[in-house]
Amino acid sequence: MPVMAGLMRRFNDTRPFDGLRIAACLHVTAETAMMVRLLRAGGAQVSLAASNPLSTQDDIAAALAARHGTAVFARAGVDRRGYYRHIERALASEPDLVIDDGGDLVNTLHTQATALLKNVKGGCESTTTGVIRLRRMAAEGALAFPVIAAHDTAVKRLVEGTCGTGQSVIDGILRATNTLLAGKTVVVAGFGPSGRGVAERARGLGAQVIVTEIDPVRALDASLHGFRVLPMAQAAPLGEVFITVTGNRDVLTAEHLEAMRDGAILANAGHFDVEIDVRALAAHAVQVHQDVRPHVDAYDLGNGRTVLLLAEGRVVNLVAAEGHPPEVMDLAFGIEALALAWLAGTVSQEPGDKLQPGVHEVPADIDAEAARLVLATTGTSIDALTPAQQAYLDSWRIGS
Amino acid sequence: MSADQHPFQVADLSLASFGRKEIQLAEHEMPGLMAMREEYAPSQPLRGARITGSLHMTIQTAVLIETLTALGAQVRWASCNIFSTQDHAAAAVAVGPDGTPDNPRGIPVFAWKGETLEEYWRCTELALTWPDSDGPNMILDDGGDATLFVHKGAEYEQAGGVPSPSNDDPEEWVIILDRLRNSLADHPGKWTKAAKAIRGVTEETTTGVHRLYEMAKAGTLLFPAINVNDSVTKSKFDNKYGCRHSLIDGIKRGTDVLIGGKVALVCGYGDVGKGCAESLRGQGARVIVTEVDPICALQAAMDGYQVATLEDVIDKADIFVTATGNRDVITADHMSRMKHQAIVGNIGHFDNEIDMAGLARTNGVTRTVIKPQVDEWTFPDGHAIIVLSEGRLLNLGNATGHPSFVMSNSFTNQVIAQVELFTKREEYPIAVHTLPKHLDEKVARLHLDALGVRLTTLTKEQADYIGVTVDGPYKPEHYRY
Repeated sequence: MPVMAGLMRRFNDTRPFDGLRIAACLHVTAETAMMVRLLRAGGAQVSLAASNPLSTQDDIAAALAARHGTAVFARAGVDRRGYYRHIERALASEPDLVIDDGGDLVNTLHTQATALLKNVKGGCESTTTGVIRLRRMAAEGALAFPVIAAHDTAVKRLVEGTCGTGQSVIDGILRATNTLLAGKTVVVAGFGPSGRGVAERARGLGAQVIVTEIDPVRALDASLHGFRVLPMAQAAPLGEVFITVTGNRDVLTAEHLEAMRDGAILANAGHFDVEIDVRALAAHAVQVHQDVRPHVDAYDLGNGRTVLLLAEGRVVNLVAAEGHPPEVMDLAFGIEALALAWLAGTVSQEPGDKLQPGVHEVPADIDAEAARLVLATTGTSIDALTPAQQAYLDSWRIGS
Repeated sequence: MSADQHPFQVADLSLASFGRKEIQLAEHEMPGLMAMREEYAPSQPLRGARITGSLHMTIQTAVLIETLTALGAQVRWASCNIFSTQDHAAAAVAVGPDGTPDNPRGIPVFAWKGETLEEYWRCTELALTWPDSDGPNMILDDGGDATLFVHKGAEYEQAGGVPSPSNDDPEEWVIILDRLRNSLADHPGKWTKAAKAIRGVTEETTTGVHRLYEMAKAGTLLFPAINVNDSVTKSKFDNKYGCRHSLIDGIKRGTDVLIGGKVALVCGYGDVGKGCAESLRGQGARVIVTEVDPICALQAAMDGYQVATLEDVIDKADIFVTATGNRDVITADHMSRMKHQAIVGNIGHFDNEIDMAGLARTNGVTRTVIKPQVDEWTFPDGHAIIVLSEGRLLNLGNATGHPSFVMSNSFTNQVIAQVELFTKREEYPIAVHTLPKHLDEKVARLHLDALGVRLTTLTKEQADYIGVTVDGPYKPEHYRY
């Protein structure tokens, strides 16, 4: 993870988090372990909880706790109550800064641990889903501190969403099912950065891809890229593989399940398990054969048709594969670490200069710095504007 | 008819200097042909060859013609399609590199863009009619029209006359029969003599090759043939990469429609269809394929295309392209049920893939010429479709056909095949032959430098390990690339 390795050297010198406590709620993976070490190199005291009940890699959690002196509260396969108890325990460190992935930690702070709110100076959110929740909180005036929407940068949309999710979702589906995608009809719900990545990669493997969308701009984008765009009701009887990448609920419902072909594969790549209506699926099934392969449950619908649900409808690239490749997380965490360091720097500012409570974009220069760090890792050099070019761009006087 | 009275027939000789400039640009993009000139000009292997060519009279063909003459051949030429001639190319070939419009010194060429069918077959006959000799001793054919004319002429001379056309014969067949009837009356025995003098034909395209194999099977083929089409460096390159380039060029020049987001139907997923589908997808179209062959259909599906029947999608597609080499693919009834402003075009060799005659016969249909080779056909209910190049191959009718580099591959095969047939008669008995693989590889090799390709050379040990020689051929005959 060269970006983070470079930042590790930088933070060792600059110590941006000296004396600060950071509570993080992230998928407990090897990349997260590197992030924790980076924050500690910058001087922080870190406590960590898992951001998904199924995504924890127990060996990583153990290593972090044992070797790197971090308070870790995470176990794979934990139930719902245990999951939230872990978040509460991570928050018990009384953090100055928080890092969230999906918004469960920030939500818990505002509902279950309000006494701790006054100590929190700010935070970062890693995912689109979390940012959507935060914006709703901010709109209601409920968000008590500034949060950087670290998911939402141009560089991350490209590298993490399109490339990372695109690749790892396909990886998860292949590992879980070993199905040949060439010649299959793959329905991708949602053509945001991640949905685009999934759709493009499925096409690259020879699938016929159908896109469903609710946003006319994205639907047009998909159409102009040659994808067939249909409402889900029309796509349901055509698809052989369904992948939800919307960030919304009830994308695949009972109505769609009834129309599906025998053997249809259902996978969710969105953060939460609400995109595929798993309860409706269970209610419709006359029999469920669990784990016909690892992470594959076969739902016999009683109409002669069986559909295969991957990863219980949870985020398939993390459950059935290994999540984003390290390069993607390297960039994502690099941006988050740079944003967090910037946030830590604002803590000592005068109250009037401080970042106000609410959701804030990652400053463009931090995004550009991250892109530069990634380019440096591949040995890619780029041109710089000459002073004359810069003057030309800045001037309104020069025309034809 | 006396050929002497018609040393050539082109649209406008004053276009020659423009044509010559384009020929010079094309020569740079046709490294295979230029290498042929360099290799063979000293030995003049085609000295004594009288070649009648029937092949699209384009700038690239001009470079082919001048390569044949550089190797010592005499050449007479006609186009093999009524719309495919580039008039500046025809003018430059007639004037020649050393002539002027006032003093043309090129070769006898009979071709212009927009011939009638009568004019087309007269041009073909003129190209086959050599002053002071019995006719050509070589044919270079594209689609087989020159070969067909000689064979039918000889057949009817044997039979003692030309049959009367029947009512359901296509218009074009009636014209051919008329022309042969006149020829037999004026010059009895001409085609039997010509067929005897012809050492062989080299055939450029799938359709013509198909005709040759039919004749060989029926025992009616009168001289040896080399199937140039099935050289790998022809069919894979010209058919796939050439059509990939020129199909969308023709659609855009004809209509300027945005291809992204459109539903494009490609009929046929052979080499041509594969290239067409790829370029339409590359422009952002959603491509649907129709096929009759389960292997090609499965290939299309594995490449991620929806495979449907024409009936399934007749009212859904925005662009229809026929690339089958078969007849009656899109009927008048199909066209009447297409979306308003659907674009219909053919990239197969002949104009029988789309039933234009049936469309014209449809009750109440009206034709509006938008511009040359772009017609709007309006049905009585008010909806209309746009037909490109009157159903003839649109990449030549609406654009300029394959680019020079692609044509350099297929034409280098043509030159090699002409030299083989003309100089090694004993090796090629009456049958349809393909070029040996080492010559196919030679054609490819001649084009590598121009692209900056750095080829790896086998070690002796490696060559022995896979059972080939270091210099090739590298693949068994049945290898499919």
